[in-house]
Amino acid sequence: MTEEQRSILSRIQKDANLSKTEILLKGLELLSEYYSLGLDTPPLSLELKRLEGEAVHHAEALKRIRRREDALKEMIRELHDIDEIVNRCGGPNALIQILLDIQKQFGWISKLAVMWISKRLGVPFSSIYQIATFYKVFSLTPKGRHRVRACLGTACHIRGGPRVMERIERLLGIGDGDVTPEGKFGLERVNCLGCCALGPVMVVNDDYYGNVKPTEVGKILSKYG
Amino acid sequence: MVEKIRSPAELEKLRSEIIARRDPKKRIITACASTGCSALGARKVIESLKEEVKKRGLVGQVGVKEDEVEVKETGCLGFCELGPRVIVYPEEVPYFRVKPEDTPEIVSETVVKGKIVERLLYADPTTGEKARKLEDIPFYKHQLRLLLKNNALIDPKKVEDYIALGGYGALSKVLFQMAPEQVIEEIKKSNLRGRGGGGFPTGRKWETTRNAPGEPKYVLVNCDEGDPGAFMDRALMEGNPHSVLEGLMIGSYAMGANEGFIYVREEYPLTVENITTAIKQAEDCGLLGGNIMGSGFNFRVNVHRGAGAFVSGESSALMAAIEGEVGEPRPKYIHMAVKGLWEKPSCLNNVETWANVPLIILNGAGWFRDMGTKNSSGTKIFSLVGKVNNTGLVEVLMGITLRDLIFKIGGGIRGGKRFKAVQTGGPSGGFIPEKYLDLHIDFDELTKVGSMMGSGGVIVMDEDTCIVDVTRYYVDFLSKESCGKCVPCREGLRQILNIFKRICSGLGEEGDFENLEDLSELLKEASLCALGTTATNPVVTSLTHFRGEYEAHIREKRCPAKVCRALVAYYIQPEKCQACMKCSRSCPVDAIIGDKDTIHVIDQEKCIRCGACYEECQFNAIEKISPPTPPPPRRGIKVIRKKKRE
Repeated sequence: MTEEQRSILSRIQKDANLSKTEILLKGLELLSEYYSLGLDTPPLSLELKRLEGEAVHHAEALKRIRRREDALKEMIRELHDIDEIVNRCGGPNALIQILLDIQKQFGWISKLAVMWISKRLGVPFSSIYQIATFYKVFSLTPKGRHRVRACLGTACHIRGGPRVMERIERLLGIGDGDVTPEGKFGLERVNCLGCCALGPVMVVNDDYYGNVKPTEVGKILSKYG
Repeated sequence: MVEKIRSPAELEKLRSEIIARRDPKKRIITACASTGCSALGARKVIESLKEEVKKRGLVGQVGVKEDEVEVKETGCLGFCELGPRVIVYPEEVPYFRVKPEDTPEIVSETVVKGKIVERLLYADPTTGEKARKLEDIPFYKHQLRLLLKNNALIDPKKVEDYIALGGYGALSKVLFQMAPEQVIEEIKKSNLRGRGGGGFPTGRKWETTRNAPGEPKYVLVNCDEGDPGAFMDRALMEGNPHSVLEGLMIGSYAMGANEGFIYVREEYPLTVENITTAIKQAEDCGLLGGNIMGSGFNFRVNVHRGAGAFVSGESSALMAAIEGEVGEPRPKYIHMAVKGLWEKPSCLNNVETWANVPLIILNGAGWFRDMGTKNSSGTKIFSLVGKVNNTGLVEVLMGITLRDLIFKIGGGIRGGKRFKAVQTGGPSGGFIPEKYLDLHIDFDELTKVGSMMGSGGVIVMDEDTCIVDVTRYYVDFLSKESCGKCVPCREGLRQILNIFKRICSGLGEEGDFENLEDLSELLKEASLCALGTTATNPVVTSLTHFRGEYEAHIREKRCPAKVCRALVAYYIQPEKCQACMKCSRSCPVDAIIGDKDTIHVIDQEKCIRCGACYEECQFNAIEKISPPTPPPPRRGIKVIRKKKRE
């Protein structure tokens, strides 16, 4: 472990009152350092173990360190997954493809992911942010466990799509792009799913429902626990 | 897997081998596995068909062994309305609306005994006559299916199926018997025009790319079918991906390109899957990649998934998206065919255009040119949706009249309602009123009446559709999809939308007509890309042909089609109400007063006009009224129940 990394670690330790996101971001900095050094598996856990030993008589400090360790582990896992996607898709030209895969795998694009890709591909953070906000598929906030999509393409629109959408909104108590408080359902309105002959169409996860009547919405949603 | 093909002779050999291996008497059950039928439960039907076939084979009670029956998953046949669709070969018996519980009967009756299951056949809604062949169904009878024909026979995940039907024959012909210039000449002679909507002559585009300076050159497939209401590209790409690939390769050979991109929208997951599989298989066979069929021609193709932006279907925006940038259009002082992807000559064509190419090469330019009208040759696939009886994909000769399309193929308007308008070309097209129903559909005729071919969406509207509301919908859609790069489109659409919102909520003013007209003209003149310049086509055409509806909204504050919420009220007719409480239970805001024996009354103050009660009522007692002034409520009337009918 280099002197520099040690200092970063101790800095995290010192600023023990950081919020969770801040710890994550600090951790990211830390990991980027490791990455730039070409060390694949940082001996992070070892270092944390040592800190743990030191702090054993400080129960509070221990808890914090444990939490931090979990968060870091989680983060490392996420970054590994992202790395895999980046390696699979290729260089900066494939940025949109990389983001699509991340969106698909995680259900959203976290700040961490954006920072990491930016570092890996050498693309400015702002450019990635620009793309992630321009295209409709990407979400910068977590989605619900079940992804509910209501089609409001023209064919669905004239065959009662808006009423279906409205019923979903009312039943779930959320609007377009929102997630229910317990994180169960996320609702999106989409412009066309290519099933125009079956309008109005709604999709939950990957299950398509055609010719939906507003009165059937409740039954459909109740299938997803 | 098959060996790599090293010469045209080997391709022919493989083809004859595949055909020889097939027993023409072999029973094949094909089932549609595309997105539309899947939405109606096709997956379960296919699973249970396979299960059934397996079970029978194992039991061995009947004369048919397992390997003599094949269940094949194919692409879309267009009649999505009646899915899931199953066809049993060799008799070609088409079954519609098949449920998993019907499969034992299909296997035991049709497959084993060759008998037809009458109840699963298509019955003509007027005569009740059953159709034993696809061609007997009026929906198919009037079509000419050149591109979609093979969707019924091909498993898109098997390259052998495509080869067996003559696939890649055109490519081999081009690679070994034709010079690139000859190919372009042939396409030019065929008079093929871009099917993506613009109708630009394909041959000329190819020639421009070929002659443009700069290497390498790129060829691209536009499958970013963002136009809501259209799904022909999905059906083609999903059902017969190799035909698009073959066309693309022929084009790349003619233009001297060695790399291609296929841009597919992410909303079509199955399409992405099928085209990726198709590329892999073509590569394995030596039909794609290096030294194709031993000709020395190399071609590589990449699939790029779009991420949901309507504007990215525009050529320069699409190329920006492939470069990994934000998919915004750029000014096209120099055509994309000359300076496109990475500033290199790039030829972008629509899925349907590419799929036409192998057919032209095989059958000759003359064959193609003689079909259709003088300036628009060949066939066109339309997605016929909206308020028609038979919705789905139809492929017809160019020059068919709208009336034939809607009434002969589409089977007329649903529920015996009156036809009001047809909208072609999606958000960039216009409304066509009844008086133009005898118009012959081709690129130029549609432009003449203020609409356009677009990608081929045909949306039929009946008397219950509010033209103002649909126009508002289009403007809303486009204002959301406008990338915001140029001011006329970004701000203009926003202002138009504001006017529409006012009109639809009963706050329209006299000057709105002029404002809409002025803004429309401005957008048409000053926008950067086609999204803006065509955005007001729906506005202009609806103002011309349906001015009366606007006037009703603005002056009389009523919505003739009873759609615009602020201009509609719900009213329970006391003489029809049976006091069943169903509506009051469904009301989300408890606006319905009444109990078991008293006629219900809607509290207009509380009512949010969601229409829930309207849908629930079994006695048609609830009516929509516009303008929203229901007669004063009379509460506490006792119900006089009708006797239940037997």
